[in-house]
Amino acid sequence: MDSVLRAAAMYLALMVLFKIAGRRSLAELTTFDFVLLMILGEATQQALLGDDFSMTNSMLVIVTLIAIDVGLSLLKQRSQWVSQLIDGGPTIIVENGKLLHKRLRHARLIEADVMEAARSSQGIETLDQIKFAILERNGKISVIAM
Amino acid sequence: MNDESGHTDYRNRDYPVREDMAHQVKVWRFERWGWYTLVLLVVLALLGLFSRGPLSTRDVQGSDGKVRVQYEMFHRNGSTNPMQLSVIGTPDAMVELELSGAMLDGFSIESLQPEPIRAVSAGQGMKLWVQTDAQGRANLHLTLRGDGVGLFHSRIASPGATAVDFDQFIFP
Repeated sequence: MDSVLRAAAMYLALMVLFKIAGRRSLAELTTFDFVLLMILGEATQQALLGDDFSMTNSMLVIVTLIAIDVGLSLLKQRSQWVSQLIDGGPTIIVENGKLLHKRLRHARLIEADVMEAARSSQGIETLDQIKFAILERNGKISVIAM
Repeated sequence: MNDESGHTDYRNRDYPVREDMAHQVKVWRFERWGWYTLVLLVVLALLGLFSRGPLSTRDVQGSDGKVRVQYEMFHRNGSTNPMQLSVIGTPDAMVELELSGAMLDGFSIESLQPEPIRAVSAGQGMKLWVQTDAQGRANLHLTLRGDGVGLFHSRIASPGATAVDFDQFIFP
């Protein structure tokens, strides 16, 4: 019983923590983010398995996590409300060459982040060449040229 | 954020994507308050709310000062913490210490030093006899491993001395 409860509690705790961290936090992995991700994995693994390293326990944990994940995706498919709560929605951050500063500030982004995405995806050089830049649900910035 | 809600940045756009800025503002507010909560948790952890720190380390004595217990108020399930029991009795003699209450339900004793001369079970707890030194003092060092979850009330008593009651909380 406790394996299932552990896995469910960790899933919930991690989901809340990553909601607090925001959608950008692990979208663009820098070297440091990668190290951070590994440390998170290590710490989570200890809490998930405890001192029971049996195959049954690890299978129970994996089964629980996948079951919750599939269950949530089914729920998201049926309910628009749940989908928005878990995944959020896209946010426009550049409109017709103008930065929407207040949105950027709340999303903890700066102009350089937008321009980086613009250069790498569209080969855009200046801000006025951008028609729309959109902060997607997965934290990536997609850019539409003028 | 409310005073700024009239700003054009907070208006919904329908093209090229359909936005729900009211929800988005709520998400941003959640992220901001979440961050304050995380900082608060880190500060509380540094202070010892989750074991080992000024909030957790306790040193209590009976009213006559003969029995003294140094312990951690907060434990975590599966982790070990030290506890020290001190008792004042007749010099160079045996003194009895009784551990009762929920202590043995919530914790397992990983080590007990120095080894008591005699130990018997007594009800829910146990009785230990230790040798006092030339000043009549005896110390017992325990390593406790939290096995349960929740609040555990315990009592350390010695004949002829005021008993010490204390509570310990074990986090999951």
